[in-house]
Amino acid sequence: MATIKLELVTPDKGEILSKDINMLIVRSTAGELGILPRHANLLTELQPHAMKVKMDGGETLVAIGGGFMEVTPEQITILADSAELPENIDVDRAKAAMKRAEERIAQYKQATKDSLIDIARANSALARAKARLLVKNVPFN
Amino acid sequence: MANLQNIRRRIRSVKSIQKITNAMDMIARSRFNAAKDTLLSNIPYVDKTREIIRRIMTQMNVSESESPFITTRQGLIDAQSREGGKFLFLVIAADKGLAGAYSSNIFKEAHSTIEYDGTSPSESTTDEESFHRQNVDALNKGISGEQLRAAKAAAKGGSKRTGANVSMAQEYNDADYISDIELITVGRKATSHFKQRGYNIIKHYHGISERPNYHYAKEIADLIIERFLSGEIIDVTLIYTRFNSAISCTPQDVTLLPLVTDDFPSETNAKEEYIYEPDVVSVLNDFLPRRIATRIYGAMLHSAAAELSSRMNAMSNATDNAQELVGKLNLYYNKVRQAGITNEINEIVGGANALE
Repeated sequence: MATIKLELVTPDKGEILSKDINMLIVRSTAGELGILPRHANLLTELQPHAMKVKMDGGETLVAIGGGFMEVTPEQITILADSAELPENIDVDRAKAAMKRAEERIAQYKQATKDSLIDIARANSALARAKARLLVKNVPFN
Repeated sequence: MANLQNIRRRIRSVKSIQKITNAMDMIARSRFNAAKDTLLSNIPYVDKTREIIRRIMTQMNVSESESPFITTRQGLIDAQSREGGKFLFLVIAADKGLAGAYSSNIFKEAHSTIEYDGTSPSESTTDEESFHRQNVDALNKGISGEQLRAAKAAAKGGSKRTGANVSMAQEYNDADYISDIELITVGRKATSHFKQRGYNIIKHYHGISERPNYHYAKEIADLIIERFLSGEIIDVTLIYTRFNSAISCTPQDVTLLPLVTDDFPSETNAKEEYIYEPDVVSVLNDFLPRRIATRIYGAMLHSAAAELSSRMNAMSNATDNAQELVGKLNLYYNKVRQAGITNEINEIVGGANALE
């Protein structure tokens, strides 16, 4: 099966992943994208989500905290704000983060207009926490 | 003859200085290790960002991009003749001294970059990210009149200046030249150095140089972008110290803005256009500012590691020197003490002989 090289780097943890893979499914700001080998050149922004990596006949989920993705026919480069492989995720922490984010969003909805809550930040924290739990296969609803 | 008590006092003071330098060495060493780890895990990210920039720039069609951050050399010249742009420099140096030649090296590089006017041949900065000198060269060539301040500065300085290093007195007097320059400084040393020389420092950051934080890099990047978009600034250069290894750190300059397409010659076969999702303007307008913050953060990490490693070297040298000095002083002390004893014995023997 044809492969394409995936390189996933973060600003503070270095290279998370550098592997030949078969397919990558990510969520960009414009929608879901599936990347196969020999894809056309592409540059896009990613949302915080759990991306799906297909390789060696199996599938792995990787939690991504937003970032940018560049695709060339031979290589996918992802500049992620944060990224975690399933084995590095702390479920309790992710659950706590999710609860905090949900509370904040709830407060925002009740509060008056001039509340100090940064809704964009809370939403992206929620998305990040959900991505982590999804990667760990932990139900969160 | 030196008196014993004075020598003893001197030995004590050298020893206590040694204790201090030794402690500073150890502190620098442990901080350095932390700084180096952070730096090493940041390097791949910065490198990949640079690769992506290079790849998309080689395919870039300026007229299509409509991004304020991307231009051509000709566009740069036009922009300057329209608005008479200023240069903005971001200099990253230390908060504290006692780091050997760290600060003076970075200031030397900063001066040679900031005061570069095309009159002295540009030195070997063939780094693929450093285009300030090319930009200045192009601006000097593209304009004929003396109405432009950059050209004025070049003409003014050209006759007097002999080398890349400008004398201090001239720096003070060159107010006309300095008025075309805005500075952002990181580190107390940088602020006081450039303030003393009359530069216009639009913002300074203190207390962040040793422990960089992405949050500050973002803040600086936002400020730079705001200034750049105001149209007054046509060229933003970052000057920092690159950390190569514990014994080798080199000052470097990196052009942050604008990205000039001429600097990225397109490879003939790779003229495949990029797809941008959702569209080219919004992707680039998110990605390019991010790249600036990333670059500044990377540079701050490099500078912190370089500062700590040169402090480490300086302090361990100081400790060694103090050790040597204590050794010499001890020898001297013993000689003086022995001379005193010999003297006393001589006197006693002489006295006893006189009694016989």
